[in-house]
Amino acid sequence: MRNRFAAVFAIALVAASSLAPSAGAHRQADPLTIYAAASLTEVFSSFDRAQRYNFAGSNALETQIRNGAPADVFASAAPLNTQRLFQARMVEKPVTFTSNRLVLIVPRSNPAGIHSVYDLKRKPVKLVIAGAAVPVGGYTRTVLRKMGLTSVLSKVVSQESDVKAVTGKVALGQADAGFVYATDARPVRTQVSVIRIPAWAQPRIRYEIAVVSRSSHKAAARAWVKKILSPRGQRALRNAGFLPIPKASR
Amino acid sequence: MLVVTTGVALLFLVLPIVAVFLRVPLSDLLSALGSSAALDAIRVTAETIAFAMVLILVFGTPAAYWISSRRGAVRDVVVTLVELPLVLPPAVAGIGLLVAFGRAGLLGGTVDALGIDIAFTKVAVILAVTFVASPFFVRTAVAAFEAVDPTLPAAARTLGAGPGRVFFRVMLPLAKGGLGAGAALAFARGLGEFGATIMFAGSLQGVTQTLSLAIYEQFDVDFNVALAISALLIVVSAVVLLSVKLMTRWHSGSGSLILSAPSSRQRN
Repeated sequence: MRNRFAAVFAIALVAASSLAPSAGAHRQADPLTIYAAASLTEVFSSFDRAQRYNFAGSNALETQIRNGAPADVFASAAPLNTQRLFQARMVEKPVTFTSNRLVLIVPRSNPAGIHSVYDLKRKPVKLVIAGAAVPVGGYTRTVLRKMGLTSVLSKVVSQESDVKAVTGKVALGQADAGFVYATDARPVRTQVSVIRIPAWAQPRIRYEIAVVSRSSHKAAARAWVKKILSPRGQRALRNAGFLPIPKASR
Repeated sequence: MLVVTTGVALLFLVLPIVAVFLRVPLSDLLSALGSSAALDAIRVTAETIAFAMVLILVFGTPAAYWISSRRGAVRDVVVTLVELPLVLPPAVAGIGLLVAFGRAGLLGGTVDALGIDIAFTKVAVILAVTFVASPFFVRTAVAAFEAVDPTLPAAARTLGAGPGRVFFRVMLPLAKGGLGAGAALAFARGLGEFGATIMFAGSLQGVTQTLSLAIYEQFDVDFNVALAISALLIVVSAVVLLSVKLMTRWHSGSGSLILSAPSSRQRN
């Protein structure tokens, strides 16, 4: 009996050690671990399939990196999250790499009959937005403030943890409307209709990218950041609907 | 060797639980529990789980009784169906509830027509909790009914008691220890429900944001609040588990109750 226990224990140990990353060997071929805002899901994973990605709300990623997550690169949908980590010396100096704009999406069937942002105020509607700490949630609140529509916040039925969760709830028809980035509406364009938000009400959206300080692949991580800033990387972002780097922040 | 492996296993299991209480002073945890996010989540969780438990007991008890009186293929099929939510990943439960009861789901239109609004309401939370927690009750309840000495209901019947009377006056009192244990297990599972709820009911403070969802949200908003709610759930779950142990010991005299197929529960 005891021998069998020992055998099982030994097998478990061997299995566990084989799962752990093999240090040293093949460092060159190791994929980078890239923590990126959920809105970058499609564009990053098709731009460079060789890397490992963790897509989520930038605020969640910030917390994970703060708690020692093994990321090499952090791409955030708002400067706040990268700058806070930079001040804590947990990432190298962040750079702006792209921009975006907000839209309102409704299910194709449009059950609440929403045809303009102002309809949110006039009609009963189940509105879904992201939480205030999530970049897109912050941008959403800015838009509503600029348009004098903060009372609409009382019609919010769910505060989601990232933009993809908002998109999903609307695309499924579970919610009547939701604020997302223009780039998130694209992959679900057969399921949703897009309502534009006027330019004067758009928030200043800046995506920042930084190399994580405790990365063990810093050279490769810096090279990857350069690749995103290169004409090829910028072209991929623009083709996905992202906007060029705002002039003021160059 | 046995002692060492047991020690390692115990340490591994206990460390994360202890760590929750050690990260910040206890006074910080208590004051974080007073935050509006935590208080709202406590209220939402209490309301939804109370309703879910009523549904589980009212529908689950007769179902368990029926199952316990059957043998053969029909029983196996029914038991399997009842057990499915137990082993399904919560994400699957969430998807299933969405495509069944969601506004664009199978019954979405019917439910809407009845004037019941499920989407993003407490009703959605209650459905999610009931779906994932009910198997814990039904399984244990089936075992509890089967553990009743079959000569007792038979005797009651020969003395002229109808099926209703046998159920309420004989079976329920005799099985109540197991039923209580099952209810406690379902309650503990319902308390921790996360995946199906966040997919199906969404998350809004004071409406659908249960304790588990509040931990997830507060994780990167105010970590202390997330810790405090975690600590609360650990304490409540421990109390529930302990009371299950006491209940089963009290009523059957046997040792601890472990979730297992009714037929494999043998006494030596």
